[in-house]
Amino acid sequence: MEFGIFIELSVPRPWTAESERDVYANALEQVRLADELGFDYVWAVEHHFLEEYSHSPAPDLFLTACAMQTSRIRVGHGIVACVPQYQSPIRIAERAAVLDILSGGRLELGTGRSATWTELGGFGANPDETKKTWDEFVRVIPKMWMQERFSWQGRVFSMPERAILPKPVQKPHPPMWVAVTSPGTEVDAADRGLGCLGLTPGGFSESEKKVNTYRARIENCDPVGAFVNKKVHTVNFLSCAEDGDLARRSGLRVASIFSYMASQLLSAKEVLPTHSYPSEGLLPALRRESGSPGDAAKSFKGVTMGTPDDVAAAIRQWENVGFDGINFIAQFMEIVPQQYVLDSMRLFAQEVMPQFKSSPVRQPVGVGAD
Amino acid sequence: MPLAGSLDIRPLLEAAPTVTLADRELHVDDVDILQALFEIRVPDREAIVPPALNPTIPPVVTFLAYRAKDSAFGPFSLVQVRVTARAGVRPRAFLVSARCDNPALAEELSGSWGFRIDPGEVHLARFHDRVECRVLDDRRPILDLALIDPEPITGQDIQYPPGMHLARVQDAQGLRPRLVQVDTEYQFRRADRGRPQLGSFDAAAWGDDRLVLAEPVSASFSACDMTITAVRYVCNPDIPASEGTENVGNP
Repeated sequence: MEFGIFIELSVPRPWTAESERDVYANALEQVRLADELGFDYVWAVEHHFLEEYSHSPAPDLFLTACAMQTSRIRVGHGIVACVPQYQSPIRIAERAAVLDILSGGRLELGTGRSATWTELGGFGANPDETKKTWDEFVRVIPKMWMQERFSWQGRVFSMPERAILPKPVQKPHPPMWVAVTSPGTEVDAADRGLGCLGLTPGGFSESEKKVNTYRARIENCDPVGAFVNKKVHTVNFLSCAEDGDLARRSGLRVASIFSYMASQLLSAKEVLPTHSYPSEGLLPALRRESGSPGDAAKSFKGVTMGTPDDVAAAIRQWENVGFDGINFIAQFMEIVPQQYVLDSMRLFAQEVMPQFKSSPVRQPVGVGAD
Repeated sequence: MPLAGSLDIRPLLEAAPTVTLADRELHVDDVDILQALFEIRVPDREAIVPPALNPTIPPVVTFLAYRAKDSAFGPFSLVQVRVTARAGVRPRAFLVSARCDNPALAEELSGSWGFRIDPGEVHLARFHDRVECRVLDDRRPILDLALIDPEPITGQDIQYPPGMHLARVQDAQGLRPRLVQVDTEYQFRRADRGRPQLGSFDAAAWGDDRLVLAEPVSASFSACDMTITAVRYVCNPDIPASEGTENVGNP
């Protein structure tokens, strides 16, 4: 199993001159520790206009800082929004290549398309179009990296022949992923040879079905890049302490406030009737699964909170479903003290991580119904 | 922390309907519904919903116009003006006010579900190129909007979140200010969507002159059967819905 941390850069009100700087500083401290402890990835999201929920519009800049302060952890630029109103695919390819160079070849590129009207509407983007623009972007980006000069005549994007520079350090190019939230995106991922970056901690049987579909289809994929990324990751909340009650209480506070903050955003599906978003994306799914402050005792199955034994047991279940990685949300809105987050990561790395790092690669065995 | 509503409900309570909770449902066959959404520009977005609710980011006004050729109260047309909100983590819409051309139905909606409702002349007309809605108050237009270029979709693509209606609820404990959650079920026969187009909106005539429409978001039309179900939940308007919601439905 691989493990990562997922950085949202959420900034609670009141916003002072220092609050955003402090959140960024705390996140960087978590990343440095994750690097020391042997976590495999740090993923930084791209979000716009999401008050308090995420002040992370420039994850490539944040990840550059991460890369400069670490030596081993891979930097996950994701989810980068493949929406032309946000940015051109040229700029994605260029900036990602710079990040790959500065990180010494540690870039992972996660692709996606945004799920909120708060963001899409802010840029004047049409939610009906985002699946199509994502598809064209993921086809051109690896070509931009690999071809000395590149030209394209497409539906949403065209350019005359130019050298898109610099080129990434990793050859033929960095691994590519896609965020899987809407039903069927796991099929898109598999057919294009992209890693499956799960963002919804759904039920075991639902997840198992998605993973099995992905694994079966990717064997016959037509990759958009020069190689196939077969990894399947999921997301979860991390709260690990010797005192299991404390860990669950703290973890549920993070999960609850995550749900509450996410719920204030307007999903694309909620305000615009469209086939393009068959589910409401990451936010409502996590909201549903993690409960609300009104029923804070509720948690979803397989939540990675509790003693090291509890957390290991939960991870074992996800491993049996067929995932080969979990990316953890350990902090949100600075709701738990920074020291708690760091201690939780340390304990996880000492007690839990070795159980999964030392084991040979396992075949999924399934866990049955939820 | 999540933004919390700060609307002062006291001035609204005097004119708020009195609701007697009962196991009533209202079923209507063959209803046409036009929904149009617009982002709004308000200096204080928290102040447009009561403390029980949370505003959305961004705040959005929803117009819901209904036309039924018949019902238990006869034919009617009805328009609601609502503001998107959350009760805890759940999508809701806070009713600003409504207009209806059928007094008997208006009385039922007010007394059973807490509709803040005034008389109005409502015109809803569906054409192949547009769906139009006009509301007149004493022959003065207070709303004029349209859906342009309808294209077919499925009913499952449309969302009408439950309404939250400020009312004085009569129960065993007396008359208490409450938000009445109004749930409606739909069986869709057809659905379209298109571009919203606003002719005019007199926000003051609908009870909140702070609602300045900014960006058009979407418009949809549906033909369906609908049932306004018996009230299951009410909540204290002064405290967060996650703490102040009471189940008043039948077990």
